Amino acid sequence: MTTNWFSAPAPVARRVRGYFAPVNRAAQTPVLFDPAEQGKFSLDAPPAPWISLGWIQGFTRKPGSKTSPVLSGIPAGTLQQVRETLEAQVSFEFLSWTKLTMALATGSQHMNLLAPAIGSSAAANGAQASAAIALQSGSSASSIQLASADAARFTPGSIIALDADYTGQTGFVGAPIAGAYLRQPLTDVDYIRRVTFNVALVSQVNSTGLMLAEPLLGGAPLPGAKLQAVTGFVDREGGSFYQEWSALFVMQGSQGERICCHYPRLQTMTGAEEAAIPLDSKNQGGQARMLLKGRFLALPVTDPLDGERVLCYRSFLPATKALI
Amino acid sequence: MQNAKDSFYMALRTRLATINPERTVLLRGAVRPGILVEEAEAPFSQLPSDVFILRWLGLGIETDLGSTMAAAECEILYQTCGTQSFGGLDRGRAMNEMDEELVAMLSPCFTPKLNYTATPPATMLTQVFWDEPGLGPISVQRDRLSRSAKVMVYSYQEQGE
Repeated sequence: MTTNWFSAPAPVARRVRGYFAPVNRAAQTPVLFDPAEQGKFSLDAPPAPWISLGWIQGFTRKPGSKTSPVLSGIPAGTLQQVRETLEAQVSFEFLSWTKLTMALATGSQHMNLLAPAIGSSAAANGAQASAAIALQSGSSASSIQLASADAARFTPGSIIALDADYTGQTGFVGAPIAGAYLRQPLTDVDYIRRVTFNVALVSQVNSTGLMLAEPLLGGAPLPGAKLQAVTGFVDREGGSFYQEWSALFVMQGSQGERICCHYPRLQTMTGAEEAAIPLDSKNQGGQARMLLKGRFLALPVTDPLDGERVLCYRSFLPATKALI
Repeated sequence: MQNAKDSFYMALRTRLATINPERTVLLRGAVRPGILVEEAEAPFSQLPSDVFILRWLGLGIETDLGSTMAAAECEILYQTCGTQSFGGLDRGRAMNEMDEELVAMLSPCFTPKLNYTATPPATMLTQVFWDEPGLGPISVQRDRLSRSAKVMVYSYQEQGE
């Protein structure tokens, strides 16, 4: 008699894929991942608003919750256990350097180096920026409408940052992704564009504006948004701001099974750090790949199902016809 | 492991036909995608050029699992002298083309396991999967460039195998 099931051994996976989605910091609302509804998503096309950060390596989960026994009797024996503290850490290395991976792997604000104005004095976070350019109506997340004279200032390959002028507000700044928290008003009108995640590479320039190689993370520009050229990125060791994102890690098994680890709230817990991995293991002093190291602390959410406070959801989607 | 070996070969053959439909071989009167299994053909006095040849080597078995896992090492050999129209001066480029085709054929690194002794082939329960290839150095013999790549192919044994 033939069987139509098999006994699946432990999943075999080569790598881990990482996805992040911005937590609404002002409303303290994380992004939830529903494995029942979304678990089988294509790894190259995650459901919105999840952003793929590609393959990661050295993925390690470290539970740190502490339990204590409740003792009873003489001599005392454990009657039951209670969970005293909730803690979990996640660490891994990103295999690429992008705006988002850099931001996630640094413990503080991550800033865009705005193209400096001519003659401006030097500053560690980038000098005073050249004047921002106003957008024309009709821009979208991947197409920016500009006056023809403004568009002519860019070429394919330019990097741009796009967000509102800073007008003295405090609290979380940057929408819909908070890039910083301000305790007191500043004077830099470009501050939001310095910390915004709305950055992109220009793929084409025409007389009506710019086409972007990838859509802006924050979606279509809000009214009043302005644009500035970016020359690179900078982060700092120190500061008081912590990046906080919802995270999803997927391990795809060889038989089609899938393990998903969903952390609704992950905060970066260390400063910027790199790992140098030699390209040729036999030549330790040769070329080395500089990987961004990320270490994160999971923060709890209250599960509306039963009111329990939890840090992570691990889901397992078995292989087709595998015994469970 | 035979079903896994057959499935691996058929997956690569199907993928090659898409990646480079021009790479074909005339074998036993039939034009086929340019990939063959050495042990399933008559012995060659000289391996054909511009064709991928699969040679099965070592075999390992792990039985301490819910389903026994088998691992077979596959060596993929290929060689080229370039094209006549360029007098063979394009042999380096031809070899590079085959390198790229090999890497593309091996991705994604899994395929459903089928039983090709049945007609039509019967889809089995598990998938065959493999590691990234280890590409050896180019060997030069007069105007002939050749390379061998090794891939470890894994499969779970199913009932009846």
